[in-house]
Amino acid sequence: MDQYLAIEDLERVLQPVETANGLSNRHYLDPEWFEIEKRKVFFDNWTAIGFAKDVPENGDARPVEFLGQPLVVIRGRDGLLRVFQNICRHRGMILVKEPGRIRGAIRCPYHSWCYDLDGALKATPHVGGPGHNTHEAIDRDALGLIEVRSHVWRDIVFVNISGNARPFEEVHAKALARWREFEQPLFHTGADSGFRLEVATNWKLAVENYCESYHLPWVHPGLNSYSRLEDHYHIEEPDCFSGQGTLVYRQLKGDDGETFEDAPGLSDKWDTAAEYIALYPNVLLGVHRDHSFAIVLEPVGPHDTAEHVEIYYHAESDAGPERAALRAKNAALWKVVFEEDIFVVEGMQRGRSALHFDGGRFSPAMDGPTHMFHRWIATQFSR
Amino acid sequence: MIPTLASLDTAVVAAHAAGDGARLAQLYGEAADDFASSGDIDTACFFYTQAYVHALEQGAPEAERYAAILRENARL
Repeated sequence: MDQYLAIEDLERVLQPVETANGLSNRHYLDPEWFEIEKRKVFFDNWTAIGFAKDVPENGDARPVEFLGQPLVVIRGRDGLLRVFQNICRHRGMILVKEPGRIRGAIRCPYHSWCYDLDGALKATPHVGGPGHNTHEAIDRDALGLIEVRSHVWRDIVFVNISGNARPFEEVHAKALARWREFEQPLFHTGADSGFRLEVATNWKLAVENYCESYHLPWVHPGLNSYSRLEDHYHIEEPDCFSGQGTLVYRQLKGDDGETFEDAPGLSDKWDTAAEYIALYPNVLLGVHRDHSFAIVLEPVGPHDTAEHVEIYYHAESDAGPERAALRAKNAALWKVVFEEDIFVVEGMQRGRSALHFDGGRFSPAMDGPTHMFHRWIATQFSR
Repeated sequence: MIPTLASLDTAVVAAHAAGDGARLAQLYGEAADDFASSGDIDTACFFYTQAYVHALEQGAPEAERYAAILRENARL
């Protein structure tokens, strides 16, 4: 019966926006649904797990536990970033416990099997008995670390854990094309350009809220003075991303009127435009002429999400100490905006406990991008 | 000279507690050389293995010397 009801739920979501309902409560509350979502939404797609800036130097390794999956992000001696399952091929022991620099090899703390930074199994001490380090049954070439498909775009580390998604460039070709002008170096300046928010909500509500501009005049009144609702437009790309754009972006100014540098070579559109998209499933992105940001949503559980926010600049000169005050002002502004959204996404989460909630209805005029995300989730569950 | 295993143990425990991989590689390497000099190749290869692994983890150049000895003795 439950399965039958679930299919009926999804069919309602897949209707046109005028008649559709949103995803039902169980998508936000039910631990069993959360487990299904892990596999169908996160493991089968290109999911963001962190940022390349966190492994800046060759040999840097950073363990990441994402939805219970023990992973490790490593920058090899060749400068390439790779992601592996963070476990030894021998007894499945966790290999890297803390972020740090691997000087030589990754040594399992249990029986000391050693791996190179590219995952190759380098040593199997005493595997053939004391002082004998080979055994005919142990083929080292076949027992390297298990690599997880990964891709870095806009400094975000994406993984396809199941290994069965189409290539990232293919899945997200339209996003790459839309923001091709921003395919330029990004500069991150460390702790003054990042923060983390712990939010008592299901991760999807953070996406849904981010997608639409409908709430802006009510939740972010500070934007009203220059960025009115009618200055925004929808961004809708089925199966890939949705979000909103503004036509009246104004640069932040410092006390002496200073601004951040523009990304070189941008077309005139970006003089006043800025765009904000949710790249499915779990990345919220923003681009402006003079800076960008990315939010990786980490689903901690059905009711809890960690939002990892990182701000990037487009000119190396903006990464220096002379721009520190302006960067701090920019980070503080964004933090206020993102914190203003917390009561909304937490309120909607609490609302999902209402027994008779039917997933809600969408404004056909204003909620298209949100409904597009619901459709995508429903499609993943229907596979 | 064959090292006293008790003194080696004490030094190894201290290095292990300090997380000093370079010191562990050195201690095991010295013990291995001593056992090799005395003709006890099995015990030497046990210690060369220990030395090799810690040197490998550290990215220390001695790793290659230990590896070469283990290979010569068909242990790697």
